[in-house]
Amino acid sequence: MSGIQLTNVSRWYGNVVAVNDITMSIGPGVTGLLGPNGAGKSTILHMIAGFLATSKGTLTVNGKPTWENPDVYRTLGLVPERDSVYAFLTGEQFVRATAKLHKLPDPDAATRRAIEMTEMADAAGRRIATYSKGMRQRIKVAAALVHDPEILLLDEPFNGMDPRQRLHMMDLLGKLGAEGRVILFSSHILEEVEKLSGTIQVMVAGRLAASGDFRAIRRLMTSRPHVFNVRSSDDRRLAAALVGRPYTTAVEFTGRGSLQVRTSDFGAFCAQIAILARENGIALRELLPTDESLESVFGYLVSTQPNQGS
Amino acid sequence: MSAYVNPVALFNPVVGSITVRATLGRKRALLFAIPAVVLIALTLAVRATHPAGTSWAGQVLGDFGFSVLLPLTALIVGTGVLGAEIEDGSAIHLLATPVRRSSIIVTKFAVAATLTMVFAAVPELIAGLLAPGTGKLGVALFAGALAGSVIYTAVFVMASVLTTRAIAVGLLYVLIWEGLLSNTVGGARILSIAHYSLGVANAIYPDQNLRAGLTLTTSAILGAVVTVAALVLATRRLSAFAIKGEPA
Amino acid sequence: MPADTTTGASAAGVIHDLGYRGYDGPRLGRAQITRALAWHSFRSAFGFGRGAKAKILPVITFVAMCLPAVANAIAMAQGNQQLVGYSAYQPVLRDLVMMIFVAVQAPELVSRDLRSRVLPLYFARPIKTGDYPLAKYLGFTAACAVMIEVPLLLLYGGSVVSVHGGAAVWDQTKALLPGLLAGLMWAVVLAAISLFLASLTGRRAFATGAVAIFFLGTYTLAEILLQVENHAGPGPGPGPQKPGPGQSAAFLAPPVPMAEKISGLFSPFTLFDGVRMWLGGPRTTVAENVLYPGGFGAVYALVLIIALAACLAGLFARYRKARLS
Repeated sequence: MSGIQLTNVSRWYGNVVAVNDITMSIGPGVTGLLGPNGAGKSTILHMIAGFLATSKGTLTVNGKPTWENPDVYRTLGLVPERDSVYAFLTGEQFVRATAKLHKLPDPDAATRRAIEMTEMADAAGRRIATYSKGMRQRIKVAAALVHDPEILLLDEPFNGMDPRQRLHMMDLLGKLGAEGRVILFSSHILEEVEKLSGTIQVMVAGRLAASGDFRAIRRLMTSRPHVFNVRSSDDRRLAAALVGRPYTTAVEFTGRGSLQVRTSDFGAFCAQIAILARENGIALRELLPTDESLESVFGYLVSTQPNQGS
Repeated sequence: MSAYVNPVALFNPVVGSITVRATLGRKRALLFAIPAVVLIALTLAVRATHPAGTSWAGQVLGDFGFSVLLPLTALIVGTGVLGAEIEDGSAIHLLATPVRRSSIIVTKFAVAATLTMVFAAVPELIAGLLAPGTGKLGVALFAGALAGSVIYTAVFVMASVLTTRAIAVGLLYVLIWEGLLSNTVGGARILSIAHYSLGVANAIYPDQNLRAGLTLTTSAILGAVVTVAALVLATRRLSAFAIKGEPA
Repeated sequence: MPADTTTGASAAGVIHDLGYRGYDGPRLGRAQITRALAWHSFRSAFGFGRGAKAKILPVITFVAMCLPAVANAIAMAQGNQQLVGYSAYQPVLRDLVMMIFVAVQAPELVSRDLRSRVLPLYFARPIKTGDYPLAKYLGFTAACAVMIEVPLLLLYGGSVVSVHGGAAVWDQTKALLPGLLAGLMWAVVLAAISLFLASLTGRRAFATGAVAIFFLGTYTLAEILLQVENHAGPGPGPGPQKPGPGQSAAFLAPPVPMAEKISGLFSPFTLFDGVRMWLGGPRTTVAENVLYPGGFGAVYALVLIIALAACLAGLFARYRKARLS
């Protein structure tokens, strides 16, 4: 079980480089592929799914290349972004046809299971042409899951889903990831990625900007001071004490009864703020990191890259 | 390559049934039916007004049936069975399965050829039987149309894999190459599917009006070669199917 | 430019208010919108405004249309007779190439918009629903006119340089004008028919198929009917291979049988030639399928007008409601 492995993968179209020397490795669990529009997320997904050749570099899924290799689809499921399914079939016919194409021993049972997993049992008897966009997404997921794949690739899966459907899909993907499958999904909506994935891969303008757990990535960004909101019993004196410390780079009064502290040394600050307050007889009421969100991480990554996407 | 596998085993019923339903959905079947109806109506009309005529039958069936009905039906059906799915992106659901690419091509080709036979060759036979005194001509044309259905659809299915503008290319081929040039430029007949079909028809019932230029052997060999080459090329290209960027 | 308001002006400096400004000036109206859409349609018919691949077919067909003119120019420069006339031009080539052009390009104009569901965007502008099909029709008619008239003009240019004397040039000019008028008739009717058929579906492939089947089907139908009447009737017809009795007998022939005239009703192309001859154009011997209709030409013209009106009515009816597709 080696998962997905990319090594120095590049893809260009004439003069335009869509994917630029990407090396990454994706293992079991849920991984989010994050990036602005035009960053190359779809290109990467299509290459992993075997629907686009690499211009350079090697790409393997469980040790085997996916290009021109239909057998890989026994263990791989793809949910494409494009909203195109056979509109004249009913949802159930579509999923069952996919099951038969995978030559499953019991297509009916697999169909039922897949449809129940995506909560499409009510609508499965209707033609796909009558589905809403979110329902179409879900039936595509059902078809991708019908053969119980070890690896699942989803291109912007939450497009067009209402909040309840989105929550349910996130639950489903989280569960599948916890079972040990390799789930890779792309998105440019930070809340989805934040809630769902353990690891993220951030792509900007065709390059891999960062990978790993986003909190860990944040800690690595030492050039950016961490920002904390502090409430205490005596802000002024705390501020004066903090200014004297080497790990503080800036202190600001927010005008709302709290202090905003920028620190260059996350570890030292966390270790010493309580001691500092106690030494000065100040009671700490609240200590809140304000830019540990994926949004700020993403913002930093995007803004530091030259020529970012459209 | 699985090219040496028994072709019948390559046929995939699931793909086949989806293709049939997709192609015959709603209004499209009407489009195919109209020219066939016109052919039969035309035959009846001419027969009613000229009951004693003899040579016109070859003309009606040959010209209308072979130059219009057969190639255009094959064009629309042949480029539609796979081309429509590739264009709107739904082909990916089919391709993201372990089904052999050769199986997909053979199945789609079989469906296209059969539909073309139903909508072009059978009307030819009916018209041929309706026309006075040309029972044998009708059978000959039917055989030629069967051959033509097979060869044309193979080429057009291949074209639909190679380009998204398959129908424009096909029209250029049918109207300019077959309609104009290959009748005037002698040697070009060997590259004309219409002439392969006419060669087959002519062998069964030689008729001046058919203006067939090739012998049965030549037609059969060339037709078979073209068909197999088209299917093999289509399979190769489908195996390397790549999702393009944004559609133009 | 809208005037800046200044606040806090003083001897030392001034701050300008560069916020949002509305526009209250004159705006272009319906006519300009329609004109812009027609121009855009005209360009789309030749593939301009899309990638290079979209231009391949228009270029091929245009070159094919010009070939007889070029061939004629070369031949005349070498001292031969004029091979190609202005009215019939090279009939089979012109018929087939125009068939291909309208079959492939009409869907580019109308089917694309239906497929990508942009009609509500168009109609959210201050135009009436009738303006859209009007603009499309004008643009496509102009495109067809270019396809037909430019080769005629090339023919004219190529011939004029090879003839000597003012009288010869005047003869050429006299022959050109009816040809241009006939070409206009072609453009007007072909555009109407093909746009109407193409507007029935959003799938380009089916639209192309429908238009191709219609034109080629009617073309062959008329040809067959003519050949059948030829065999059956008393007219002097040698055989199916040669052109019809117009060959050498056109100017001396007995009146053409009614049945043969009727067969010309079934195809737009035969209608064009019939109307042209009825209106006094040359009774060309090059046209294989068409016979001089005599007084019956009025019926030809009537059928043509009815067909044109019906197609235009259908086209406009198609867009009466600003539906999504």
